[in-house]
Amino acid sequence: MSPPVLPTPASDPQQWLARFGDELYRFALGRVADTDTAAELVQDTFVSALGALDSFRGQASERTWLFVILKRKIIDHYRREARSPFVPLDLSPEHAPEAEFFRPADGHWREEQYPADWPAAGPDQNRADLALEQQEFQEILQLCQQRLSAQQRAVFVLRFVEELPAEDICKELGLSSANYWVLVHRAKLHLRRCLEKNWLQAPTAA
Amino acid sequence: MSRIPSPLFNCQQATLLVERRAAAPLPVRPRVQLWAHLHLCPHCRRYALQSARLAHAARPAAEAAVPANLALPAAARARMQQLFDAHGSAQG
Ligand SMILES: [Zn+2]
Repeated sequence: MSPPVLPTPASDPQQWLARFGDELYRFALGRVADTDTAAELVQDTFVSALGALDSFRGQASERTWLFVILKRKIIDHYRREARSPFVPLDLSPEHAPEAEFFRPADGHWREEQYPADWPAAGPDQNRADLALEQQEFQEILQLCQQRLSAQQRAVFVLRFVEELPAEDICKELGLSSANYWVLVHRAKLHLRRCLEKNWLQAPTAA
Repeated sequence: MSRIPSPLFNCQQATLLVERRAAAPLPVRPRVQLWAHLHLCPHCRRYALQSARLAHAARPAAEAAVPANLALPAAARARMQQLFDAHGSAQG
């Protein structure tokens, strides 16, 4: 028989689902982009939180505490994803993904891959246009993220959405610092091109 | 960062250093070489601007992707309720 668990008065697990369930789910869904996985991460969060109730002493609010656990679950999710199909990073220059973008002989951009000029928010644009353009850009960025390789996506999301320091990401994903930079670079190269294809070519409401 | 290949005449190296530069200052030599490359190469200048834009947009895009009133799917919610019910009866 275990001693009675006496959480602080603020901690009431029976209220968690009603009070924080939707919010945790939305947070997860913005980061994993698939509803089943997002719900699973929330469920894992509750399981861990219930198991660790003793360690919750009300230093932080329950809400903050649950989000800390969820963020941990999201990192674990990306670690599993990035590790499952092992992709060798050390390829010969001709076979490396970079060769799609740069000529292996001299490292210059291939002509057909030259970055195009992106529309900047000019002074002649009104606020509604800007907001629409911003929204379009964000939606396409999300779609493009889904097309990255698992490793590139893991690195990109953990760095630029979760804003983890590079050293932490290397530790979590078991990457050398050199390989980390190669993955960041590849993710950016692919995202940049994907956005250019799908955003600039999109019919604009003229 | 011991051996950094020169980005002076190499766009692949230059764009890789653009990424590293965003996280921490580069050693003097590659920093000067990158500066010179960006000065001469309009393609990498564009890449640098667009790469920074992607970095800044990533988080807002993740937040904006989910409607503000979206709720947990009913089936998932029911599964989690069982979890709490089981926990509650184990306590009580
Ligand atoms: Zn260049």
